Amino acid sequence: MKIVRISFVLLSLASILTSAVPAQSQPPMPGPPKAVSIPAVAEKNLANGLNVSVVRRTASPIVTVRLVIKKGANNEPASKAGLADLTAAMLTKGTKTRTATQIAESVEFLGGSIFSPAGWLGTSVGVTVTSDKLPQAMAILADVVLNPKFAKEELDLIKTQTLDGLTYDLKQPTSLANYVVSKYSFGEHPATGTKASVEAITEKEISDFYKANYSPDSAVLVFSGDIDQQTAYAMANRYFSRWKRSPNGTKNEAISERPKGQTPLFRRILVIDLPKSGQAAVTYAKPMSPISRKDPKFFTASVLNSILGGGYSSRLNSEIRIKRGLSYGAFSSFVWRNSSVNFSAQVQTKNESAPEVASLILTELKRMVETSVTEEELIPRKAALTGGFSRNLENGGGLAAALGDLYVFGLPTTALNSYVGDINAVTSQRVKDFASEYLYGGDVIIVGDYSLFREDLAKRFPGTTFDVINADDIDLSKDNLRK
Amino acid sequence: MKKIILLAMAAIMFAASTYAQLKLAPLNIKERTLANGLKVVSLQDNSSPTVAIRVWYDVGGKDDPPGRSGFAHMFEHMMFKATKNMPNEKMDRLTEDVGGFNNASTWDDYTNYYEVVPSNHLEPLLWAEAERMVNLNVDEANFNSEREVVKEEFRQSVLAEPYGQFFENIARLSYSAHPYKRGVIGNLAELDAATPADAKAFYETFYRPDNAYLIVVGDFDQRQFDAWTDKYFGAIARPSGSIPRVTVTEPTRTKEVRHVTTGQNVPFPAVAITYLAPKSSDADIAPLIMASNILSAGESSRLYQSLVYKQQIAQEATLTLDNKVDLSLAYLYAIGSEGSTAEALEKSLLAELKLIQTRGVTAKELAKAKNQVIAGEIQSRENNDGKAIAIETAITYQRDPKKVNTSVARLQAVTAADIRRVMRKYFTDTNRVVIYYLNEGGTK
Repeated sequence: MKIVRISFVLLSLASILTSAVPAQSQPPMPGPPKAVSIPAVAEKNLANGLNVSVVRRTASPIVTVRLVIKKGANNEPASKAGLADLTAAMLTKGTKTRTATQIAESVEFLGGSIFSPAGWLGTSVGVTVTSDKLPQAMAILADVVLNPKFAKEELDLIKTQTLDGLTYDLKQPTSLANYVVSKYSFGEHPATGTKASVEAITEKEISDFYKANYSPDSAVLVFSGDIDQQTAYAMANRYFSRWKRSPNGTKNEAISERPKGQTPLFRRILVIDLPKSGQAAVTYAKPMSPISRKDPKFFTASVLNSILGGGYSSRLNSEIRIKRGLSYGAFSSFVWRNSSVNFSAQVQTKNESAPEVASLILTELKRMVETSVTEEELIPRKAALTGGFSRNLENGGGLAAALGDLYVFGLPTTALNSYVGDINAVTSQRVKDFASEYLYGGDVIIVGDYSLFREDLAKRFPGTTFDVINADDIDLSKDNLRK
Repeated sequence: MKKIILLAMAAIMFAASTYAQLKLAPLNIKERTLANGLKVVSLQDNSSPTVAIRVWYDVGGKDDPPGRSGFAHMFEHMMFKATKNMPNEKMDRLTEDVGGFNNASTWDDYTNYYEVVPSNHLEPLLWAEAERMVNLNVDEANFNSEREVVKEEFRQSVLAEPYGQFFENIARLSYSAHPYKRGVIGNLAELDAATPADAKAFYETFYRPDNAYLIVVGDFDQRQFDAWTDKYFGAIARPSGSIPRVTVTEPTRTKEVRHVTTGQNVPFPAVAITYLAPKSSDADIAPLIMASNILSAGESSRLYQSLVYKQQIAQEATLTLDNKVDLSLAYLYAIGSEGSTAEALEKSLLAELKLIQTRGVTAKELAKAKNQVIAGEIQSRENNDGKAIAIETAITYQRDPKKVNTSVARLQAVTAADIRRVMRKYFTDTNRVVIYYLNEGGTK
């Protein structure tokens, strides 16, 4: 089975040469594969340290410009959860010369929109416009990054909107689970904040966070689309050369101690009771000990995830959705931090099926650890991964996001070109070793209407004690999650 | 004098440069119809080694059999199961396993099946799409397990989402006779009532070459593609018998109707105010789309500025045009914020409506909406799949793939007077249904 691809090529060449008619009862063979070209990236640093990366794509008259700053929720103290996110949101809410409404109006008049989300490790500010409108868009982008005003009335509105968003999230089982998991299993604070932390954040704290963390020497400006290198460098220079370096950056938070070595399959079970919830969200969450994003284990984890829970034909989705009809979709993911990795698998199912789904997830983790993946399964799961990667680079926005991501992890832009080779180098043994080392010992968290799965849970997990918290009693800023 | 002239000229040049529209590059599509009635639209573009395939069927939620709401969608799930020559999930082997993807979606008016694959895999996909157009096996075990998946889909999108039932209620309470009122996802009881025999009958009735379009965009050789199409799709016979069509006419509304609905775990009140609008091919659709853009697109839009930014009574507020082949639905809706009431949301939405009806829109607002339309369209047509979607949209709503090259121009031609006229014509007091959505048992 290792030579699947090669035999496909030979067979299809044969069919072209002989004009053989493929039998109607079998799919015809594919033609010879064509090379996928990953676009070249040009880069240079401005005098203030700002990295400028340019990828030219001339297929459509459109350009994405994305500024990525290597600072995010990781750089805020847990007691100030949401500070990085609110700071980013406030950039577009007024500058020294433009009001929030003027910023929205002028960008939207250009046919674009401006976005500024903060993540755990980085913050992005970007805009996509047709190439003829780029100079006007650049002027606004630079203004919001360099001259934000952080006015109190704008902050008050954003805080209210954030708190309303939180109220909504806590009524949806998967969103609620994600808040709980970040605190309970990963020992992190929610990046969008808690009720208490958001209410307490002041415009002074926002301004201080901005001054300490927004600096050209920890940022990349990516141009992706219909623009040449010279024009991009000239624009970067014109609009961003007066951005001054910040004298001090805040330190990354130390991460909480994480379990190492072999542990039992799972550590504990937590139930969040959300009465009358339309479904239950079942999550397996494993905080993993540090692995650098530069470690080849990143590619092993990616392949493992593609087999276990990345994509429609993964094992979790096959077992839970396709074979048993227990969910609309079952997926898993590894989320990379600078100094740790968070693994989770997540499924929404009817409340009554939550215990069955929890045990199916654990069964699949066990299979990952105890048995080797065959080449027959490995090859297509790698293809699904590399195909998705290439497809994502087919549009300017996807390319710009991928480059911003590499910058945040301190990886060279050539990582785009080596990705497919690195994935294909992952062996079945590497996957099994990785699974054995990292997958066990996580938490099972079920958010849903407990009255509908209480008995079955006790039956399926005999001898296990469950911690149960009512959704209305949750306080995300407390270590024990209770008000 | 000279200085003033220069300033005036500068103003004209500014206006010309900022109001000038980029032209959308036309898609040089090729159309043909096979002897069995299958319509084929192709666009060769060899700039990237991928190909996008879409098979569009003229059947949707509105064609659900009586007592079987949600059936067209549930049937769509069955199309990924075994055929005479393919085992279950073979479509995934032919797409995902070689670095591509596939999916399908069911709408009120149509159902589509689509894939993007490396271009050397085009021929196997054409074979497979032809295979499931004619050789599907409906097996009871598959039918029962997929029914459970669809019920989970219903629970996930309608029951577990705090505003799932709100959006589900909009069509249900807005149409009184037309099957659009049933909604595409249906309900649990009618999904439970469906049988494999229903699926066989539905397949035979609607899944036939003369009820479909094949759309292919990307890296192929036109002659080779035409030969493959003839070989795999041309072999399918055109069934005898006609295809049943929905002929129900939705009665004109004569007075305002109001509903108060409730749901579980609803954090804030929500309001929808709905109006029956013309069918998707009507000339009034273009000004309605532009009005929707001016009222709702982005943070500079009227409804955001008024309800979210200034009054701070809503988290989101829009005018949505739900474009439908038989009769569209236009609705204003707002989801409240902490402390706001359904009454306040309704009042503010109606005040904004009144404003656009009496004073119209400004030249600058219209120019902004046009810039957004053109930029959005250029962006969404960046790759092969985006171009195929644009062609599919022209087929769905205007029943003519060639309209892909004029639909944007139609929007660009809309005037402020057109917008004011359609806002007065359709958004009348007697053509109004008001729906409140509140937490059951009040707010906590």
